[in-house]
This record gives sequence, structure tokens and C-alpha cells, in this order.
Amino acid sequence: MKILDIAFKDLLRSTRNFFLIGMTLVAPLFITGLIYFAFGGLQSGNVSMTAIKVGVVNADTLTADAPLEVPIGKNIRDMFFDDSVKSWITASDYPDEASARTALESQEIGVAVIIPQAFTEKLLAGQTDTPILLLQDPTLTIAPGVVRDMVTSLLDGVAGGGIAFRVISERLQANGLTLDSASLPGLLERYSTWYAGFQRAFFYTPQNAALVLTSPVESGNSFQAMMGLVMAGQLIFFSFFTGAFSMMTFLQEDEEGTLARLFTTPTRRTLILTGKFLAVFLAVVIQGLVLLIIGHLLFGVHWGKPGSFILSLLGQAIAAVGLSVLLISLVKTSKQAGPVLGGGLTFLGMLSGLFTTNVKMPAAFNAIGNFTPQGWVLKAWKLTLSGAPLSQLLLPFLVLLAMGVVMFLIGAVLFRRRYA
Amino acid sequence: MRILDVTLKDLSQIFRDKRSLFFLVAMPIVFTLFMGFAYRGGGDEGETDMRIPLGWVNQDPDGIITQQLYEMLSKSDSVKLVELSPEIANQTLQDGDVAGVLLVPSGFSELALENPAQLTLTTDPASTPGQFLNQMLRTTVTKLMSSVEIGRLSAEAVGMLDDATEINTAFIAAASAWAQEDTAARVKIELAIGKKAESWYGDNPYNQASPGILVMFVIFGLTTSGQILLQERKSRTLQRMITTSMPAWQIILGHLLAMFGVVFLQEILLILFGQLALGVDYLRQLLAVLLISVGLGLWIAAMGLLIGVLAKDDSQVTLFSLLAMFFFSALGGTWFPLEAAGGAFAVVSRLMPSAWAMTGYQNILIRGLGLSSAWLPAAIILAYALGFFLLAVWRFRKSEV
Repeated sequence: MKILDIAFKDLLRSTRNFFLIGMTLVAPLFITGLIYFAFGGLQSGNVSMTAIKVGVVNADTLTADAPLEVPIGKNIRDMFFDDSVKSWITASDYPDEASARTALESQEIGVAVIIPQAFTEKLLAGQTDTPILLLQDPTLTIAPGVVRDMVTSLLDGVAGGGIAFRVISERLQANGLTLDSASLPGLLERYSTWYAGFQRAFFYTPQNAALVLTSPVESGNSFQAMMGLVMAGQLIFFSFFTGAFSMMTFLQEDEEGTLARLFTTPTRRTLILTGKFLAVFLAVVIQGLVLLIIGHLLFGVHWGKPGSFILSLLGQAIAAVGLSVLLISLVKTSKQAGPVLGGGLTFLGMLSGLFTTNVKMPAAFNAIGNFTPQGWVLKAWKLTLSGAPLSQLLLPFLVLLAMGVVMFLIGAVLFRRRYA
Repeated sequence: MRILDVTLKDLSQIFRDKRSLFFLVAMPIVFTLFMGFAYRGGGDEGETDMRIPLGWVNQDPDGIITQQLYEMLSKSDSVKLVELSPEIANQTLQDGDVAGVLLVPSGFSELALENPAQLTLTTDPASTPGQFLNQMLRTTVTKLMSSVEIGRLSAEAVGMLDDATEINTAFIAAASAWAQEDTAARVKIELAIGKKAESWYGDNPYNQASPGILVMFVIFGLTTSGQILLQERKSRTLQRMITTSMPAWQIILGHLLAMFGVVFLQEILLILFGQLALGVDYLRQLLAVLLISVGLGLWIAAMGLLIGVLAKDDSQVTLFSLLAMFFFSALGGTWFPLEAAGGAFAVVSRLMPSAWAMTGYQNILIRGLGLSSAWLPAAIILAYALGFFLLAVWRFRKSEV
């Protein structure tokens, strides 16, 4: 069949195009690979983030009549030097706030913990006018958050001990009993032991902790879910790119004169154009399949139910071809095509949320995606990745089909006029 | 001087090409606006309730401990409870109407007294709201279960461990005490910036977006730089120039200056745009900004020269430039903060000139440091520029001369 001959010829020509192969396969895999390299440790639960560099200034001391043996400031300081955190916290002592600030400015540390004088005394007295100061590098968000959580967790433990003491004393009094000074330390010790075990469970045995975290995704862990979204964004962006640049053969053949010669043959123009459109469609489908397979094998992405991903892929291909035909029909020369296709597709991709798949955007921005084909393809892939059944993909698929057909028809009419 | 003649020739060719100007100037501006908008956060400015919605599925409605947990969460300034039935909870989460769902199982209050009792939070742990919910609920559940433990210990101290009323009374007392306790007030967080903010711009999301996009699109300027030499080779002008008495090093230097000129001009335009339109205070340390920008420009020019020498046609120039942009941008921390990346990635990224360029700009814009903080980043970037330049010259001599 001539349509298939033309399609096959164009497809073969595309496979010899180094640039197209680079952009359709190498670029999306390269980008996804870089992100995998950056966050791959999350997959195995081995969170090998950059070590948090903490500087501690401890000016806390105990008064002579303090009920504690060790100042709370020392407990806070020792927490950062404990063996259990050595693999992800690098702690250093500093003599004063000025030296800690200097270390921060030269980026020797990311967070400085400044424990003021008489902190324990003020804490036990219920005063809050001498807080612990956390100085942070303003470009960091994770490390300061972790350090803040560690310090407040320890302070919560101390506060809990104080509350335990007060409540037990009150209840003894309410029941007409006196406080047994011999047994009280034992009770507080039990509370401390309970608290330490309770906190440890969150980090070391999360499945046994009081609050268990589960992910709503169907299969795989949250890292795979994140990689799925990243790869979906790349897949969509580069598939529209493939469609558009594959369509450039029209312009190139027009400029080379081979298109005009083709139109002089007995083969009807409709057949010729259909063959070329089919080549673009097949290129996008093949690209999608290759990326889906490699995404699953290399990055462990679970693409959901087979029916759902087939429908998403088909919808994507139809929309990509439709938009490509429309865009190319608006362009006169291959030189113009570069900025129109590159800039236009990038702009549309941005508006559709392809570059911010893991970022929460304002609702108004998300609504823009309802008017772009890439936005609907992204909706389809998000549903597919979350394990949605085929029935939920019908609406996005039908919208993509409608968008693709409308864009294709407009582009085809413009082509017919141009080559009439 | 003939070097300048070559430079001016290249520059006039570039500026005649509207397509190049579009990619050099318009696209980075659009991207900067977009990414600054994204960095601003997900909340709509018009929203009156900024609390994160948390689905509440309660299968223990009569439990005293569950009731206390509900009360604690209801009073929170940061989450808004949305009561859901188990049948619709997952769908509500998938639709995005809640950021997470907290499931309180049947008999939770009774189980909590005996240990262990578990609550389940279903949320996307990779998302910012999900992480916040997890952290916030850990603190709340810690206080709740602490109250339970104190209730048990208190009942034991008064010798009434089997008396549920006594345990509940002590539990309520402990929970009330926790409600009065404000541990957060005992920790004060401060940003360590070199100087207090001089400008009236305040916390500006473009402080991060502007330099990131600047570095990324300056690297993309490799396409224009690379094509300078390629066009000369295609038109056979380069071969003719080599036959003249003009030394090869002068030809290369002329092209390098043109490439540097284009990239530097792009940087200046984006810096001015950032300063005037986005409130990014580049001018607070003008010399430092110029130092880093010159280093960055020279590095890109040298890399563009190398690509121009290696590439055989336009499509190779574009492809090599794009791959270089992805590589150096990702490893330079222009896509995501490097502190969030894994150990190996972070180690490799610290070697990248793009990461040093980001560090240099961040030192000035975010850390509020002075000229001295720009020397090391600039020196490292210039070292890379020299390395790429020598590589390009060696390759040029091998292939053209």
C-alpha cells in the first residue's frame, strides 16, 4: 500500500536523523537519568543525602541547686555528636556565636545551634525569654528543618517529663496521698525510657510507630511515583517535540523540491499527506513505547494498568500529531520552524505543568492545563500512574481525540490550500 | 586589529538572526517569571484559609483519646480537618481535595492504653504538604501518646492502674498541660545573612529563580556560540582565513571574544531585568556580580568554541548544547537545591562550574555576602574556562590547521 510505503520511507529517514534520535530518546532519558542519579538513594530507603553540617555553641551551665545532673544544653549538644547520627550529621563545637557565624558565612556549616547561658535554669522555671537560637544558611531548607525538629523533639521530651511530674503530683494529692520521693525518680525514668523508644520507632521501625505513613500510589514506593511523574513529563514534552520535528520533513521536502515532484506522480495528494502523517504518528508511538519500556527497566517506573497506559499513549500520539500538523501548517520555512516549534512547544509545556509535575502550583495555573493538549495528556498519565482503571481514562482520551482531530483538520485544510 | 574585526563580524551575524535573539533573551525572561511564580508556593494569594486540608476518618468516635486528638487537631493553625467516611476518603485524596487522610481505627482509644496503637496517615510523602502533615502529626501524636503514658504512670503511682476513670482523669490533665506548653517558643530561627536586608524587597522568590534561570540559559547560549565556528566552516570562510597570514590563535581569539560578547550581553540583560523588574538586588555588590558573570561568560565561550570545533552540522551543535545544558544545569543546582540530592550527586555537583556560579550568585543575593565571597567561585569557573579553551585550541589545530 502506498500510504504505508510513504510512511515507512519517512520513518526510516527519521531514524537516520542523528538530531531527532538525540532529541526523541537520548534527551528525555538523559534528563530522567540525571534526576534518578540525584535522588536514586530514596528508592532503597537509603537516604544518602549530603551530610548536615551543624555547629554547636553551648553556653548552658547548671546552678548549684539545680535538680538535674547535666544541663539540658549538654544533652542537646551531645545529640548531634551521637554515634547514631554520625552518618548524616557532621557536628563541630564552636566557642561563641561570632565564630559560628563566621563558619556559616564561609559555608563550613549549614546550621549553628546557639544554646544560651542559663537555658536549663530558665526552662525549668518556665521562662521562655532565652530561647535556643538556630542560625541557618538561607539557601538551605532541609538541614535547618531537620535540626529544628531534633531540638524541639528533645525539648518536648524534657517538657513531657515536667508534665509527668506535675500530673503525678496533682493526682497523688487529689487522692489524698503523699509524694514518695523514692519512687518518683523511677517513674520519671520510665517515662524517659518510653519517650526515647517512642521517638526511635519513628526512625528505625516506622512500620511499628504510633503514626504509620502510607502512600496512595497503587504499586511501587513513593520514589518510583516521583520518577514516574518526572518521566511522564519528559515523555509528553519530547513526544510533542518528536511529532513537530518529524513534520518538518514536509518543509524540508518542499524546500528541496522533492515534495513538488511527489505531487506530480499519479499518487493522490491525500494519500501522500496521509502517509506522511502516519509516519509522524508511528514515530510518536514508537518513541513512547521505547521510553515506557526503558523507564520501567532502568528506573523502575510502574506504568499502571496495561489498558490505561495504552489509552494514554494513543491519546498522546493523536494530540501530538494534531498539534504538529497545525504548527507546521502555520510555518513557511524550516528556518522559521526552529523558534516556532521549539519556543511554542516549550511555552505550552510550561503552561501545561510539564516542568512542575512535583511542585504544587496555584489552582489558577493548574486550570490553564485544561486548555492545552499537553495538559490533558499529563492528566491521563497521572491517572495511569496512580493505577486508575480504563474507565477513568475515557474522558481524557476523548478530549485528546477531539483536540487532535480538530487541530489536524485545521492544519490539513491549511496544507491543502498551500499545496493546491 | 584583526582580532576585533573577526569579533565584530561574528557579532553582526548573530544580531541579524532574530531567532537567536529570541532564544537568548525572550525565553529566559519568560522562564524566570514562570519559575519565580512557582517558587512563590502553591497558595493562591486570594485564599483566606491557608491551612492544609487533612481528611479525618474516625472509626473510634466514642473513644476519649480519639476525641482529644480531634480537639488538638481542630485547634491547629496549620491544618484543617475534613471529616470523611472511609468509602470516599481515597477518592477525595486522589482528587486533591485533601492533602492527606488520617485514619483512626476502631478501638484505638482502648488499644492506646495497652500499647501499641497505630494511626495511619495516607499522603504523598514526596510532596511538600505530605511532608508537612507527617511532621506535624508526629508532634501531635507524640503529645497525645505522652499524655496516655503519663495517665498510666499516674494511675500506677496512686495504685489505681485498673481504674479507667483515674487513668482518663490523669490523661486529660496531661493533655491540658500539653496544650499550655509551647516548645516552639524555646527555639528561635534566624537566617545568617552577612548584612541585614538593605532593600525594601523583602523575601523575594526571584532571588532563587533569577540566577538559576540565568545560569541555565547562559549555558544554552552554547548553541549560538557553537554555530559561529560551524557557519564559518560550512561557508569555507574558515579554511580561507587559515590560508591568510593571520595566525590561528588570533582567529580563535576573535571568535572567542564574539562568543563571550554574546553571552555576557545576555547575562547583563537578564541581570538588569532581574534588578529592575523582579526586585533581585544584583547591584548591591556590582563588582562581585560582574566577576562571576565574566567568569561564567568565558567558560561558556570556551565550551562553545569546543562544540563549534567538534560539531559537523547545526543539529549536532543544538544537540550537544542541549545535552550540556541539561548536564550542567542539573548538576549545578539550577533545577533543584543540591542539598536535597543524594550524596554521590552532591559530591559530583560541587565540582561543576555551574554549581560554583550558582554559589557565587547565592552568596551575593541570598547570603548577603560581599566581594570576597565571589573570588573563589570566579577562580574555579575561570579555571574551567581555561581548560575548555585549551582543549578547543588543541582540537582546532588537529582538525583545521
